[in-house]
Amino acid sequence: MGWAGPLATRHLADMGAEIIKVESCVRFDWFRGWESSQRWINDNEAEKHEPFNALNRNKFDVTLDLSQRRGRDLLLRLVAVSDAVIENFAGDVLPKLNLGFEVFKAVKPEIVMVSMPGFGSTGPWSKYRAYGSTTEQAAGLPHLTGHPEHPPTMVHIALGDAVAGLNGASAMLVALRHLKRTGEGQFVDLSHSECLLPLGAHGIAEQSLTGVPPPRLGNRSRHCAPHGIYACGDGRWLVVQVQSEEQWRALRGVLGGNVAGFGDLADRLERSDELDAAISGWCAHRPAADAMDSLQSAGVPAAGVAASKELVADPHLQARHFWKILDRPYIGQHPNGVAPYRLQDGPLEIEWPAPTLGQHNREILGGLLGLSDAELADLERDGIIGNRPRLPGAVGG
Amino acid sequence: MSPHEDLPGALHGIKVIDLAGTVATGYCGKLFADHGADVLLVEPQEGCPTRRLPPFAPGVPAPEASGMHAYLSANKRSVVCPDRAALMALASGAALVIDDRPGRDRPLTLDELEHCSADGVLLSITWFGQTGPYRGYAGSDGVCQALTSQIDWLGEPDGPPVMPGGYQAQIIAGMTAFVASMGQILARELGNVSGPGHLDVSVLESNLCFSEIEALRGFAGKPTRERLGVNRFRATYPLGIYPCRDGWLGVTVLTPSQWNAFCELLGFDDLAAVERYQQSLERLQDADKLDARIQGRVARESAGDLAKRGQALRIPLTIVPTMDQLFDVDQFVERGAFADVTHPDLGALRLPTSPFRLHAMPAASGGEVARLGADTEAALQQAGCAL
Repeated sequence: MGWAGPLATRHLADMGAEIIKVESCVRFDWFRGWESSQRWINDNEAEKHEPFNALNRNKFDVTLDLSQRRGRDLLLRLVAVSDAVIENFAGDVLPKLNLGFEVFKAVKPEIVMVSMPGFGSTGPWSKYRAYGSTTEQAAGLPHLTGHPEHPPTMVHIALGDAVAGLNGASAMLVALRHLKRTGEGQFVDLSHSECLLPLGAHGIAEQSLTGVPPPRLGNRSRHCAPHGIYACGDGRWLVVQVQSEEQWRALRGVLGGNVAGFGDLADRLERSDELDAAISGWCAHRPAADAMDSLQSAGVPAAGVAASKELVADPHLQARHFWKILDRPYIGQHPNGVAPYRLQDGPLEIEWPAPTLGQHNREILGGLLGLSDAELADLERDGIIGNRPRLPGAVGG
Repeated sequence: MSPHEDLPGALHGIKVIDLAGTVATGYCGKLFADHGADVLLVEPQEGCPTRRLPPFAPGVPAPEASGMHAYLSANKRSVVCPDRAALMALASGAALVIDDRPGRDRPLTLDELEHCSADGVLLSITWFGQTGPYRGYAGSDGVCQALTSQIDWLGEPDGPPVMPGGYQAQIIAGMTAFVASMGQILARELGNVSGPGHLDVSVLESNLCFSEIEALRGFAGKPTRERLGVNRFRATYPLGIYPCRDGWLGVTVLTPSQWNAFCELLGFDDLAAVERYQQSLERLQDADKLDARIQGRVARESAGDLAKRGQALRIPLTIVPTMDQLFDVDQFVERGAFADVTHPDLGALRLPTSPFRLHAMPAASGGEVARLGADTEAALQQAGCAL
């Protein structure tokens, strides 16, 4: 549910694994939306939310009310024919349903289970509440970004979620490889916060090496100059990150007299204020896109800061066919970014868009588990399966 | 002895050759190495690029002074390869060969790899990918974070965006490349796929995981994120990092029950009684005013104590440990999140361990870093090359 787990399984689904997403009509994926009112349900809002639609393509979706015995039994029948289970509930949810690794192992001895709570499933913080922001804060990462006069600075609203998703996919693949080699399943435990520690490795390494953490210098660096974000004539911002003397010479070739008086790295670092003013002066006279073109043509790492709403039209991503336009009930045409890796013959396919709630109940419960039409009708009547969200306490059907 | 011989690991038997030695290829290779694969870092005479990256150990000469290189390179072998024939021999039987070239001057072509490893996968991790108009552009972490729009949401509304510190975009790309290449290797081991393959992974596209949802919202004509101020993000408030008497407190309060508990924790009875503050978005409207209240209240408290008491009330609070505090966070200590990596010239460095904890076959905890070329002789002999 949410971001991390679904992103992990989206990677596996894109690579051809058969992913069965289990929701229930009352406890559906909260990335479908948060508002639980009858009107919201009647307007099919649960099918219109971008976060869900970005993260769940290429998956099968079944609904099972796990708080009812028959729903729980059907989940265990699905586990028995699966290689792996992945979940990212808060730590107390599965135990309350009398579910967990030992239960899954009883029906499928070689099952792989990946569990990904915010701080991991062991240790004194294992029951702590966390959002993707909390896990970024706990990893100390904000101490490595921003201006010294500002508090430690976060780099995302939910950094921990996407990063844990990538790690979840990785961990699953490693455990599946171990299963293939040894026939042994296992429990895999991920902490979102630990998944973020590698992003701060430069700061942790500096602390370890020197006993002192790196200072926060805003957009400047102690090791490169120029290094900053500059205002352009069209009101947009330009990132310039010169990382070698070769790139500095290239920049000097483009900016000419504006920066002619600056010398080697030590000189440029010493006179950072002057240098930044000179680059700002040059940028102020041209749109960010032109500045980027001129600098990149010479080999200088520079880019205009894009706005999120422009990404689908980005010329480079367009040329790489990064966005696929999908057609889905309730929302019609909408883009999805392909997997961020491709083989020599092009991007991996997106076979179908994010499923509607319970879209594959018949295909999975009927087809895979062999339930009859009459049994499916019974389950639907008793609210164990269904295709529409239901308010807690409402009668099924 | 190569590190994998006394450390089987879940990826034992997989041979990986890293021909690039960048942060992105290094992190991808590191995940293989920490889980028991045999990873050869093939370096030029002067050493691979990560050896020239800060932080540096004072008093240690190049090319062994980089702490970043030490982090990325534990449990790998370092080989300086004399010529192409030796490279072909080293790559014999490799499951994965990694480079960083956007389509030109490839150190080992797919055809050559097929010749020395029938099911070998070539992985190229570049800034922008093998195709497209930016293919040959110069990249950096900040450049990619600009083009994904991630930094467009960071910082003061009227000031410049804020660039995240370090090599975060490249680490994300290394992680993404690990998923992609493990998928390809497993597919071959399972017999689902055979023959060579060339994976194209870009730092840019890897980092779109942070903004793709916003891109979809923008396409649908809905409002997308913009800069609201440091640590301000719609529609969560309070969200932030506040100085306490002994450190920093991280706060995220979204739901009405979290808000009411937060008011209880800090004794804000008056704020709990304000009806519209039950909505996070309404609180965000008054963020400057509320920030002053929160700041004034927590300044004389202990961050650790507040976090603990807050969590008991089910509020997502945490300490925000500084680099020196990180190593002593009880949760990280208990779970072995850090371990010593040793290097012959740098000594022992406390660094993060592999984040995924496989209970039946754990990753290496710490490890040794090879000096430049330390394994050249053994690796070439093993590959059957005359020295």
